[in-house]
Amino acid sequence: MHALVIDDSRSMRMILARILRGAGFEITEAGHGQEALDHLTGGLRPDLCLIDWNMPVMNGYEFVTEVRKVREWRDITLMMVTTESEHSRIVAALAAGAHEYVIKPFTADAILDKLELLGLTHDGAIA
Amino acid sequence: MTAPASADAQQGAVLSPDDVRTLTEEVWSTFLGHTAPFTAAEARAFTPTWAASVTVKGEWNGMVSMQLTGVGAHRLTCGMLGMDPESDEPSEADVVDAVGELVNMVGGNVKSLVPGPSQLSLPLVATGQFAHGSDQQEIVRLDFAWGDEPVSLTVHSGSPAVSKVNR
Repeated sequence: MHALVIDDSRSMRMILARILRGAGFEITEAGHGQEALDHLTGGLRPDLCLIDWNMPVMNGYEFVTEVRKVREWRDITLMMVTTESEHSRIVAALAAGAHEYVIKPFTADAILDKLELLGLTHDGAIA
Repeated sequence: MTAPASADAQQGAVLSPDDVRTLTEEVWSTFLGHTAPFTAAEARAFTPTWAASVTVKGEWNGMVSMQLTGVGAHRLTCGMLGMDPESDEPSEADVVDAVGELVNMVGGNVKSLVPGPSQLSLPLVATGQFAHGSDQQEIVRLDFAWGDEPVSLTVHSGSPAVSKVNR
Protein backbone atom coordinates (compact mmCIF):
# COMPACT_ATOMS: atom_id res chain seq x y z
CA MET A 1 0.00 0.00 0.00
CA HIS A 2 1.08 3.54 -0.65
CA ALA A 3 0.38 6.69 1.36
CA LEU A 4 0.80 10.33 0.41
CA VAL A 5 1.58 12.41 3.51
CA ILE A 6 0.73 16.09 3.03
CA ASP A 7 1.90 18.54 5.68
CA ASP A 8 3.98 21.71 5.53
CA SER A 9 5.93 20.57 8.58
CA ARG A 10 8.78 18.21 7.73
CA SER A 11 8.87 16.95 11.30
CA MET A 12 5.18 16.08 11.18
CA ARG A 13 5.63 14.32 7.83
CA MET A 14 8.45 12.29 9.36
CA ILE A 15 6.37 11.32 12.39
CA LEU A 16 3.43 10.24 10.24
CA ALA A 17 5.69 8.43 7.77
CA ARG A 18 7.32 6.51 10.63
CA ILE A 19 3.91 5.32 11.83
CA LEU A 20 2.74 4.36 8.35
CA ARG A 21 5.95 2.55 7.41
CA GLY A 22 5.46 0.45 10.53
CA ALA A 23 2.08 -0.51 9.12
CA GLY A 24 3.59 -1.54 5.83
CA PHE A 25 3.03 1.55 3.72
CA GLU A 26 5.34 3.05 1.16
CA ILE A 27 5.45 6.81 1.58
CA THR A 28 5.48 9.85 -0.67
CA GLU A 29 5.59 13.29 0.96
CA ALA A 30 4.23 16.67 -0.10
CA GLY A 31 4.62 20.05 1.60
CA HIS A 32 1.26 21.47 0.51
CA GLY A 33 -1.88 20.57 -1.39
CA GLN A 34 -0.65 21.72 -4.79
CA GLU A 35 2.48 19.60 -4.53
CA ALA A 36 0.28 16.64 -3.64
CA LEU A 37 -2.02 17.32 -6.58
CA ASP A 38 1.05 17.43 -8.82
CA HIS A 39 1.96 13.94 -7.63
CA LEU A 40 -1.52 12.70 -8.49
CA THR A 41 -1.62 14.32 -11.92
CA GLY A 42 1.83 12.83 -12.49
CA GLY A 43 0.39 9.37 -12.06
CA LEU A 44 0.85 8.55 -8.39
CA ARG A 45 -2.10 6.49 -7.13
CA PRO A 46 -1.85 6.25 -3.34
CA ASP A 47 -4.29 4.18 -1.34
CA LEU A 48 -4.32 6.84 1.35
CA CYS A 49 -3.66 10.56 1.77
CA LEU A 50 -3.01 12.05 5.21
CA ILE A 51 -3.77 15.76 4.93
CA ASP A 52 -3.00 18.73 7.14
CA TRP A 53 -5.45 21.64 6.95
CA ASN A 54 -3.34 24.78 7.33
CA MET A 55 -0.67 24.82 4.66
CA PRO A 56 0.75 27.43 2.29
CA VAL A 57 -0.10 27.46 -1.44
CA MET A 58 -3.07 25.07 -1.16
CA ASN A 59 -4.66 24.05 2.11
CA GLY A 60 -5.99 20.62 2.95
CA TYR A 61 -9.65 21.44 2.45
CA GLU A 62 -8.93 22.77 -1.03
CA PHE A 63 -6.93 19.64 -1.79
CA VAL A 64 -9.79 17.36 -0.73
CA THR A 65 -12.20 19.37 -2.87
CA GLU A 66 -9.92 19.14 -5.90
CA VAL A 67 -9.35 15.41 -5.49
CA ARG A 68 -13.05 14.69 -5.29
CA LYS A 69 -13.65 16.43 -8.63
CA VAL A 70 -11.67 13.72 -10.44
CA ARG A 71 -13.45 10.44 -11.10
CA GLU A 72 -10.27 8.37 -11.36
CA TRP A 73 -9.20 9.44 -7.88
CA ARG A 74 -12.40 8.39 -6.10
CA ASP A 75 -10.81 5.27 -4.67
CA ILE A 76 -8.21 7.25 -2.74
CA THR A 77 -8.94 7.32 0.99
CA LEU A 78 -8.57 10.82 2.42
CA MET A 79 -7.82 11.38 6.10
CA MET A 80 -7.41 14.84 7.60
CA VAL A 81 -4.70 15.07 10.29
CA THR A 82 -4.79 18.60 11.62
CA THR A 83 -4.98 20.97 14.57
CA GLU A 84 -8.24 22.36 13.17
CA SER A 85 -10.86 21.13 15.61
CA GLU A 86 -13.80 23.46 15.03
CA HIS A 87 -16.92 21.39 14.49
CA SER A 88 -17.81 23.36 11.37
CA ARG A 89 -14.40 22.57 9.85
CA ILE A 90 -14.73 18.87 10.58
CA VAL A 91 -18.19 18.80 9.02
CA ALA A 92 -16.95 20.74 5.99
CA ALA A 93 -14.02 18.40 5.40
CA LEU A 94 -16.17 15.29 5.67
CA ALA A 95 -18.80 16.83 3.40
CA ALA A 96 -16.09 17.65 0.86
CA GLY A 97 -15.08 14.02 0.73
CA ALA A 98 -12.65 13.24 3.54
CA HIS A 99 -13.25 9.81 5.10
CA GLU A 100 -11.74 10.41 8.51
CA TYR A 101 -10.56 13.27 10.71
CA VAL A 102 -7.76 13.08 13.29
CA ILE A 103 -6.92 16.05 15.50
CA LYS A 104 -3.32 16.80 16.48
CA PRO A 105 -1.78 15.86 18.80
CA PHE A 106 -2.42 12.22 18.00
CA THR A 107 -0.90 8.96 19.10
CA ALA A 108 0.35 6.29 16.75
CA ASP A 109 -2.45 4.06 17.99
CA ALA A 110 -5.03 6.68 17.02
CA ILE A 111 -3.74 6.71 13.45
CA LEU A 112 -3.53 2.92 13.29
CA ASP A 113 -7.04 2.53 14.71
CA LYS A 114 -8.38 4.78 11.96
CA LEU A 115 -6.54 2.78 9.31
CA GLU A 116 -8.06 -0.38 10.67
CA LEU A 117 -11.53 1.16 10.57
CA LEU A 118 -10.91 2.13 6.96
CA GLY A 119 -9.75 -1.36 6.07
CA LEU A 120 -6.28 -0.13 5.20
CA THR A 121 -4.28 -2.60 7.22
CA HIS A 122 -3.32 -6.12 6.48
CA ASP A 123 -2.74 -9.00 8.88
CA GLY A 124 0.47 -8.67 10.80
CA ALA A 125 1.18 -5.14 9.64
CA ILE A 126 0.22 -3.55 12.92
CA ALA A 127 1.77 -4.75 16.13
CA MET B 1 2.43 29.16 36.26
CA THR B 2 1.22 32.66 37.03
CA ALA B 3 -2.30 33.98 37.08
CA PRO B 4 -3.75 35.74 34.06
CA ALA B 5 -2.81 39.41 33.91
CA SER B 6 -6.45 40.40 33.55
CA ALA B 7 -8.67 37.41 34.00
CA ASP B 8 -11.81 39.48 33.79
CA ALA B 9 -10.95 40.84 30.39
CA GLN B 10 -13.72 39.93 28.00
CA GLN B 11 -11.53 37.89 25.72
CA GLY B 12 -9.43 36.42 28.47
CA ALA B 13 -12.34 34.96 30.38
CA VAL B 14 -12.71 32.16 27.84
CA LEU B 15 -9.39 30.55 28.69
CA SER B 16 -8.07 29.30 31.98
CA PRO B 17 -4.43 28.61 32.81
CA ASP B 18 -5.39 25.03 33.64
CA ASP B 19 -6.87 24.55 30.18
CA VAL B 20 -3.70 25.77 28.53
CA ARG B 21 -1.51 23.71 30.81
CA THR B 22 -3.50 20.54 30.12
CA LEU B 23 -3.37 20.90 26.36
CA THR B 24 0.30 21.90 26.38
CA GLU B 25 1.17 18.85 28.46
CA GLU B 26 -0.78 16.69 26.02
CA VAL B 27 1.14 18.05 23.05
CA TRP B 28 4.46 17.68 24.86
CA SER B 29 3.83 14.19 26.17
CA THR B 30 2.51 12.94 22.83
CA PHE B 31 5.48 14.05 20.80
CA LEU B 32 8.29 14.48 23.31
CA GLY B 33 7.26 12.57 26.38
CA HIS B 34 9.99 9.99 26.14
CA THR B 35 12.83 12.46 25.86
CA ALA B 36 12.58 14.47 29.09
CA PRO B 37 10.06 15.22 31.83
CA PHE B 38 7.69 18.16 31.57
CA THR B 39 7.48 19.84 34.93
CA ALA B 40 5.81 22.94 36.26
CA ALA B 41 8.31 25.58 37.29
CA GLU B 42 8.36 28.97 38.84
CA ALA B 43 8.86 31.69 36.31
CA ARG B 44 12.54 32.47 36.01
CA ALA B 45 14.21 34.95 33.82
CA PHE B 46 15.99 33.57 30.81
CA THR B 47 17.09 34.97 27.52
CA PRO B 48 15.17 33.15 24.82
CA THR B 49 17.06 32.04 21.76
CA TRP B 50 14.00 30.94 19.82
CA ALA B 51 10.45 32.23 19.74
CA ALA B 52 7.46 30.96 17.84
CA SER B 53 3.88 32.09 17.58
CA VAL B 54 0.60 31.50 15.85
CA THR B 55 -2.29 33.92 15.72
CA VAL B 56 -6.02 33.35 15.88
CA LYS B 57 -8.27 35.74 13.98
CA GLY B 58 -12.03 35.70 14.01
CA GLU B 59 -14.65 35.73 16.72
CA TRP B 60 -11.73 35.65 19.16
CA ASN B 61 -8.43 37.33 18.36
CA GLY B 62 -5.19 36.49 20.00
CA MET B 63 -1.78 34.97 19.82
CA VAL B 64 -0.09 31.92 21.30
CA SER B 65 3.65 32.23 21.63
CA MET B 66 6.42 30.07 22.97
CA GLN B 67 9.96 31.04 23.90
CA LEU B 68 12.79 28.70 24.68
CA THR B 69 16.54 28.42 24.96
CA GLY B 70 18.87 27.20 22.26
CA VAL B 71 19.50 23.96 24.16
CA GLY B 72 15.77 23.45 24.64
CA ALA B 73 15.10 24.03 20.94
CA HIS B 74 17.90 21.60 20.04
CA ARG B 75 16.47 18.86 22.26
CA LEU B 76 12.93 19.53 21.10
CA THR B 77 13.96 19.28 17.46
CA CYS B 78 15.86 16.05 18.05
CA GLY B 79 12.83 14.63 19.86
CA MET B 80 10.47 15.54 17.04
CA LEU B 81 12.75 14.26 14.30
CA GLY B 82 13.94 11.11 16.05
CA MET B 83 17.53 12.37 16.25
CA ASP B 84 20.07 11.72 18.99
CA PRO B 85 20.51 14.99 20.93
CA GLU B 86 23.99 13.91 22.04
CA SER B 87 25.41 13.30 18.60
CA ASP B 88 23.11 14.79 16.00
CA GLU B 89 23.07 18.44 15.03
CA PRO B 90 19.76 19.54 13.55
CA SER B 91 19.88 22.32 11.00
CA GLU B 92 18.34 25.72 11.61
CA ALA B 93 15.57 24.76 9.18
CA ASP B 94 14.88 21.66 11.29
CA VAL B 95 14.61 23.79 14.44
CA VAL B 96 12.28 26.26 12.75
CA ASP B 97 10.09 23.42 11.53
CA ALA B 98 9.92 21.52 14.82
CA VAL B 99 9.40 24.55 17.07
CA GLY B 100 6.82 25.92 14.64
CA GLU B 101 4.88 22.67 14.55
CA LEU B 102 4.74 22.44 18.34
CA VAL B 103 3.39 25.97 18.73
CA ASN B 104 0.99 25.23 15.88
CA MET B 105 -0.43 22.27 17.79
CA VAL B 106 -0.73 24.23 21.02
CA GLY B 107 -2.29 27.16 19.15
CA GLY B 108 -4.73 24.92 17.33
CA ASN B 109 -5.89 23.46 20.61
CA VAL B 110 -6.19 26.92 22.18
CA LYS B 111 -8.33 27.88 19.19
CA SER B 112 -10.65 25.00 19.99
CA LEU B 113 -11.28 26.49 23.44
CA VAL B 114 -12.18 30.03 22.37
CA PRO B 115 -15.29 31.27 20.56
CA GLY B 116 -15.28 30.60 16.84
CA PRO B 117 -15.30 30.62 13.95
CA SER B 118 -11.73 31.73 13.55
CA GLN B 119 -8.64 31.20 11.47
CA LEU B 120 -5.30 29.90 12.70
CA SER B 121 -2.23 31.37 11.04
CA LEU B 122 0.79 29.46 9.90
CA PRO B 123 3.48 29.51 12.60
CA LEU B 124 6.05 32.27 12.71
CA VAL B 125 9.43 31.27 14.15
CA ALA B 126 12.33 33.59 14.84
CA THR B 127 15.50 33.88 16.80
CA GLY B 128 15.21 36.22 19.76
CA GLN B 129 11.87 37.08 21.25
CA PHE B 130 8.58 38.56 20.18
CA ALA B 131 7.39 42.00 21.11
CA HIS B 132 3.66 42.15 21.63
CA GLY B 133 1.37 44.95 20.54
CA SER B 134 0.38 47.46 23.19
CA ASP B 135 -3.27 46.55 22.64
CA GLN B 136 -2.62 42.94 23.49
CA GLN B 137 -3.18 41.57 26.95
CA GLU B 138 -1.43 38.56 28.40
CA ILE B 139 -4.21 36.31 29.63
CA VAL B 140 -2.28 33.11 30.35
CA ARG B 141 1.38 32.53 31.06
CA LEU B 142 2.74 29.04 31.52
CA ASP B 143 6.30 28.58 32.71
CA PHE B 144 7.69 25.09 32.79
CA ALA B 145 10.89 23.19 32.62
CA TRP B 146 11.50 20.52 30.06
CA GLY B 147 14.46 18.60 31.31
CA ASP B 148 16.46 21.45 32.81
CA GLU B 149 15.52 23.93 30.13
CA PRO B 150 12.99 26.69 30.77
CA VAL B 151 10.10 27.17 28.37
CA SER B 152 7.64 30.03 28.46
CA LEU B 153 4.27 29.82 26.78
CA THR B 154 1.91 32.77 26.70
CA VAL B 155 -1.52 33.51 25.32
CA HIS B 156 -2.34 37.10 24.47
CA SER B 157 -5.76 38.36 23.51
CA GLY B 158 -6.42 41.33 21.31
CA SER B 159 -5.07 42.34 17.93
CA PRO B 160 -2.84 39.57 16.61
CA ALA B 161 -0.38 42.05 15.13
CA VAL B 162 3.12 41.18 16.30
CA SER B 163 6.52 42.71 15.91
CA LYS B 164 9.39 40.33 15.48
CA VAL B 165 12.64 41.22 17.16
CA ASN B 166 15.71 39.47 15.87
CA ARG B 167 18.94 39.56 17.79
